[in-house]
Amino acid sequence: MSKQSRENLDKKAASRRRFLQAGIAGGATLAAAATARAAGDPAITEVQDWNRYLGDGVDAAPYGQPSEFEAHVVRRDVPWLTADPVSSINFTPLHDLDGIITPNGVCFERHHGGTAIIDPAEHRLMINGLVDKQLVFTMDDLKRFPRENRVYFLECAANSGMEWRGAQLNGCQFTHGMVHCVVYTGVPLKYLLEEAGVKTNGKWVLAEGADAAAMTRSIPMEKALEDCLVAFKMNGEALRPEQGYPIRLCVPGWEGNMWVKWLRRIEVGDEPWAQREETSKYTDLLPDGTARRHTWVMDVKSVITSPSPQAPITHGRGRTVISGLAWSGNGKVTRVDVSLDGGRNWQTARLDGPSLSKALHRFYFDFDWDGSPLLIQSRAMDEAGFIQPTKNELRAVRGTNSIYHNNGIQTWHVKGDGVVENVEVS
Amino acid sequence: MLKYLKAALLTATIAAVAAPAFAGDPEEGAKVFRKCAACHSIGEGAKSRVGPELNELLGRTAGTVDGFKYSAAMVAAGEGGMVWDEQTLTHFLVKPKDLVKGTKMAFAGLRKSTDVANVIAYLKTFSEGAAEAPAEGEAAASGGTEVAMAEKPAAAADAPLPDHEGVFGLGRLATDDEVAAWDMDVRPDGLGLPVGKGTVADGEVLFTENCAVCHGDFGEGVGRWPVLAGGQDTLTDDRPVKTIGSYWPYLSTVYDYVRRAMPFGNARSLSDDDVYAITAYLLYLNDIVTDEDFELSNENFTDIHLPNEANFKEDDRAQEPQYAEKKEPCMKDCKPGPVEITMTARVLDVTPDSDEENTGGGID
Repeated sequence: MSKQSRENLDKKAASRRRFLQAGIAGGATLAAAATARAAGDPAITEVQDWNRYLGDGVDAAPYGQPSEFEAHVVRRDVPWLTADPVSSINFTPLHDLDGIITPNGVCFERHHGGTAIIDPAEHRLMINGLVDKQLVFTMDDLKRFPRENRVYFLECAANSGMEWRGAQLNGCQFTHGMVHCVVYTGVPLKYLLEEAGVKTNGKWVLAEGADAAAMTRSIPMEKALEDCLVAFKMNGEALRPEQGYPIRLCVPGWEGNMWVKWLRRIEVGDEPWAQREETSKYTDLLPDGTARRHTWVMDVKSVITSPSPQAPITHGRGRTVISGLAWSGNGKVTRVDVSLDGGRNWQTARLDGPSLSKALHRFYFDFDWDGSPLLIQSRAMDEAGFIQPTKNELRAVRGTNSIYHNNGIQTWHVKGDGVVENVEVS
Repeated sequence: MLKYLKAALLTATIAAVAAPAFAGDPEEGAKVFRKCAACHSIGEGAKSRVGPELNELLGRTAGTVDGFKYSAAMVAAGEGGMVWDEQTLTHFLVKPKDLVKGTKMAFAGLRKSTDVANVIAYLKTFSEGAAEAPAEGEAAASGGTEVAMAEKPAAAADAPLPDHEGVFGLGRLATDDEVAAWDMDVRPDGLGLPVGKGTVADGEVLFTENCAVCHGDFGEGVGRWPVLAGGQDTLTDDRPVKTIGSYWPYLSTVYDYVRRAMPFGNARSLSDDDVYAITAYLLYLNDIVTDEDFELSNENFTDIHLPNEANFKEDDRAQEPQYAEKKEPCMKDCKPGPVEITMTARVLDVTPDSDEENTGGGID
């Protein structure tokens, strides 16, 4: 991108922000459209530069990037959430995405010791502990095992964690953006464990990363053998460094913290290891002072991604598309209902695109907006029969100090001018 | 392509050099040979039966025992220059039909690589020529092998053979030193604790030098860095303070985590004794031990229990009222009257460079 076009973009982005912050002057937009009609739309009547001058040749971008007009579609963080950027989180721009697959470059990141940069030639995966043979695999070895391709969502257990105490962040990127969904290519962990030969008392595995946090989580053997995957590709290309290059563990439907990145070791044992990330963190404090542990499954959940605070309605009344995401760690999403009046009345939305177990599902609700304020919500159901609860139902049982596993129904307040705000309702 | 060949050659060379590591035991090989003896004979007066006799096998061109009726494939292999040596035999004995597609030998192959090595060692004792054969490493390093590799890229299949039984025969056995280098996890029952010790007083010095910059001199936490001490009896408060003393269930987690990931940005720089000392100091900061001379070691480690251990329970979310019923969701008039807004987002501008004062809950 040229310096000049970057400056133009910056200006555009700044003015767009001001526009959104000031609220939408709907009349101005409509007036401009009317003028265009009378004189003929210059986008049509004038010859545009791109219609006259040649564009870049094939070598301009050996690895392609999104259009410069999409430069605002990026991960963002909230600096005050954590102590330091190298042990922090950023968020997927859900409000600007559609479909069910998250582009690799905007999949949210959560690191505990920064992004490890690992030469695959120097990477090893060890299997040790209660096995017949303790083994070491190189990347070349791993790529000689039979592979599988699976589409899975990955959600941080703390997604929506800031919302336990009430509406806080204005944007589904920030309230729900600790989730992404890609197609993984990898080797079933089962094959690696079988190669090593699990002893009969091997009931747990410990997954360990090679990063500066040497991240560890205990996983029950039943899950390890059921559907865990040692993945080396995402969306067809090598894992991004921030997603665990060269390999990460996929633990489908379970909290993202268990999907150990930069995976270097699988230990087999007869008891869980009570590691830092499964005792002091990723345990859910309840109002009576006790805490739940081993809360692995990500519950059924959904959110409307557009309209949402970062994606207001700019077209005025009339035909409107509500677009959103639903997912469940229990399997497939079977139904999503949408409410326009804060949960008093519901209508069933249209699920579109592939419906895959433990993957994001896309839903749409198409309707005529009469321009009156709305309180829009979505409510997902999964194939295990679980229904997404309200935030207040969750708070009634769990209080507000759980941090993790907040899958409550999200409400967006769509105002008459199309501006959207994060709210809580009665 | 050249790069690939070089890499392949290097691998082959390493494999060949590594081969003596699997040097077989002829006595063990004699036992393995019982499987072969159903069809093959060897030793004085041996005659071809279902299979050819195997005297002087090492160095023999494939398919050349007089009077034995070989498969066309085996004869062709010999005419193509295949000679029985350690490498070809190893390949053949693991999966005969892989090396010579169409061989009459019905034997499925020996599964254990040690069996293969042992039986070859046994066969060698009946092959006088074998002793003079050049060592595998020299052969692989010679120009002749390079040419052969270059002419026949398929020879990349001569990769190191598995040193273990397995469904796929991939990977290799880890050495004890390798396992020891990475297997540093410690469990609540003490499994994995290294031998060592450290006192509260030593820990205070180490903590001040290595930890206090983020965690504060007394574990009170600097900025948003974790608070490590205090917070007892706050778990039911509006703002609970979750520390080692107030929340963590097991002391082993402290030892394990400090050893694997602390100090932040300089992980694994502390000795095992240092970690015992720092752990002892953290016990002291949390009033779990009160004597500055207290020494924590692998001997007394599991005697210490953290106060909150009993307050953790297994996941029972499915029994919560909103989930337990699994009833059909309400679709019409689910709330008595028009819905009211009870709260709006407190942080109205969440652009990344926002200076908004935070009052929200953290997520770490």
